[in-house]
Amino acid sequence: MNEPLLVLDTITKNFGAVQALKGVSFSIARGEVIALLGDNGAGKSTLVKIISGELEATSGQMTFEGRDFGPRSPSEAKAAGIETVYQDLSLCTNVDVVANFFMGREITRSVMGLKILDEAAMEEQVAKAMANAGTRIPSLRTKVEHLSGGQRQAIELNRFVHWGGKLVLLDEPFAALGVEQTKRGLEMIRQVAARGIGVVIITHIMQQAFQVADRMVVIRQGVVAGDMPTNQTNADAVIGMITGEALAGAGPATGA
Amino acid sequence: MSPRQRRVLELVLDNLVWFMLLAVLAIFSALIPNYFQPGIFANIVEQSSVLGVMSIGLALVVISGHIDLSVESVAALSAMVIGILFASSGIGLGLTLTPGWLVVPVSLLLGLLVGGAIGALNGFLVVKVKMNAFIVTLASFIWVRGLVVAVSGGRSAQNLADEVRWLAIQRVLGIPITAYIAILCFIGFSFMMATTRFGRHLLLIGGNQAAAFRAGIKVDKVLIIAFVLAGSVAALAGWLLAIRTSGATANLGAGMLFNAFAAVVIGGVSLKGGVGSLPGVYAGVLLLSSINTAINLMGLPAHYTQVIHGLLVLAAVLLDTFKQTIRKRLA
Repeated sequence: MNEPLLVLDTITKNFGAVQALKGVSFSIARGEVIALLGDNGAGKSTLVKIISGELEATSGQMTFEGRDFGPRSPSEAKAAGIETVYQDLSLCTNVDVVANFFMGREITRSVMGLKILDEAAMEEQVAKAMANAGTRIPSLRTKVEHLSGGQRQAIELNRFVHWGGKLVLLDEPFAALGVEQTKRGLEMIRQVAARGIGVVIITHIMQQAFQVADRMVVIRQGVVAGDMPTNQTNADAVIGMITGEALAGAGPATGA
Repeated sequence: MSPRQRRVLELVLDNLVWFMLLAVLAIFSALIPNYFQPGIFANIVEQSSVLGVMSIGLALVVISGHIDLSVESVAALSAMVIGILFASSGIGLGLTLTPGWLVVPVSLLLGLLVGGAIGALNGFLVVKVKMNAFIVTLASFIWVRGLVVAVSGGRSAQNLADEVRWLAIQRVLGIPITAYIAILCFIGFSFMMATTRFGRHLLLIGGNQAAAFRAGIKVDKVLIIAFVLAGSVAALAGWLLAIRTSGATANLGAGMLFNAFAAVVIGGVSLKGGVGSLPGVYAGVLLLSSINTAINLMGLPAHYTQVIHGLLVLAAVLLDTFKQTIRKRLA
C-alpha cells in the first residue's frame, strides 16, 4: 500500500468568481479505500469530477501511476483505468440492462468484415456479474425505466465491480439502497480494494466511512481539513473537522 | 400474466404501426373498389420512396435527441444542383459524361457532398457552438431553400439523361428501381441502428446524453456524424426526387418536411429522443401513402389528405402515451 496510485497536488477549481477548490492535495495508494468527507458544498463532487475527466482543474498537478495526468474527457480517464459511479444515476433508461452495463464498451464480433454487437456474449457476462453480486433482476432485457431505484443503483455498482480498472470513484453510491443492499455494497468495495484497486468513496454517513475506509480525507471550504488513517481517529474528531471546530493534519491551504 | 403472453404483448406494442398498416390496408381493400390489386400496392411502395429516405435521416437525428428541420430544403438543393448540371432543358447545362452511365454515380456523389456539407455545418453549430438544434436547422431550412430559388432564378431544369432516368422507369416486379433503393436504405440503416456500436451510441445519447458522456462515449463525434448522415440521406432523397421528376423546380419537395415528421412520429419515434426504430418509420411512410392512395381512389379533394395526416399524427402521439401506460403496468 505504499506506492501512490494517484497524487493530487494543490488542485484548484474556479467557477467564475467562485473558488470551489482552493488547493487540494492528497494521495491514494493501490488497494486503499479513502473516504472523502465534507459538508455540502465543500467541493467533494467537484474534485471527483476533475479526477474522472468531466471537469478540468483550473490549476494544480495530478500524477497517476507516476505519470502526469489531466484527463480532458471521461473517455480519457476511462482509458487510463478510472471508473466513476455518480450520485445522480448515470443510466440510460431507454435501453435494457445489458446495454447499460456495456455502455461505451460494447463487445463486437466481426461478420463479413462488419463489426456488429455481440449481444449474446454481453448478456452472458452481465448475467455472471449480477449472479456473483447476488443481484436479482427479472430480465436483463428489461428496459431500465421499468426497474426500481434500488435495482438501478445495483446495476451501477455491479458495473464498477465488473470493470474495476485501477481506481474507482464513488460519489454517494448508496443513496437509493436499502440496508441489506448497502451492506453488500460495502462488501463489494472491500473486494474491489482487495484486488489492488484504489477506491475513493464520498459519503455523508459517518458509519459507512468507518466501516469501509482505510483513510479519511476531509474537505472543508475547498481545502483538505484532515487526512488520517481510520484507526487513528473517531467520529467526533472527523465531525469536528467537517464543521471546522478542529483543524488536525490540515493540508496546504493556499488562498484559503 | 405469463411470460409468454407478456412477450406477445410486447411484440405487438413494439410493432404497433405495422399492425395498423395491415389493418388500414385490409379495411381499404374491403371498402374501396379497385384498391385491392398489385398495381395499387406497387404504387404505394413507389410513392413511399422519396419520403421514406428523407424520413430515415430525420429519424436518426430525432432518435439522438435532436431535430433536423433542414432535410426538405437539403433534398431540394441536391436535386437542383443535379438538375442544373445534368438536365438538358430549362436552366440545365446538359453536361454529359463518357461513358454515359457515369452520370449516375457522379450525380449521386455530388448530391451527397452537398447534403453532407450542410449536415456538417448543422452538426458543428449544434454540437461545437452549442446552439439549439431547432433554431440552427430552421435557419438551414430557410437559407438552403433560398439558395435553391437563387441559383435557379425561380426557373426549372428538365430532362435528365436517359441513363439516370432508367432507374425510375425500369421496373422489377412492378416496382421501379428507385423504390428498391429506398428499401435498401431502410434495411441498411435499420441494421446500423440495431447492430453497430454507432447505432447503439446514438440510442444511448438520445436516452441520456450526460450518462453516455460519462460512460466515455464520444458524444460530440457521434452527434456530428448523425447530422452529416441526415444531410446526406436527405440529399439522396433529393437525388431520387430529381430522377423521378426528371429535373428540379425551385419549389421541389416543399411541404415534405411535415410528412416526414408525421411518418417519424407515426412510426413510433419519440421526439424526446432515445425511442424508435427505422422499420417502424418505414411502416409510417407506407401508412401515409396508403391513405393518400385511398383518398385519390375515392376521388376526394386532395386537401383532405392534409386533414387526415394531421389527425393521424395526433392519433399516433395519443397511442404512444397509451403504450407507455400499458408498458408501465407490464413492468
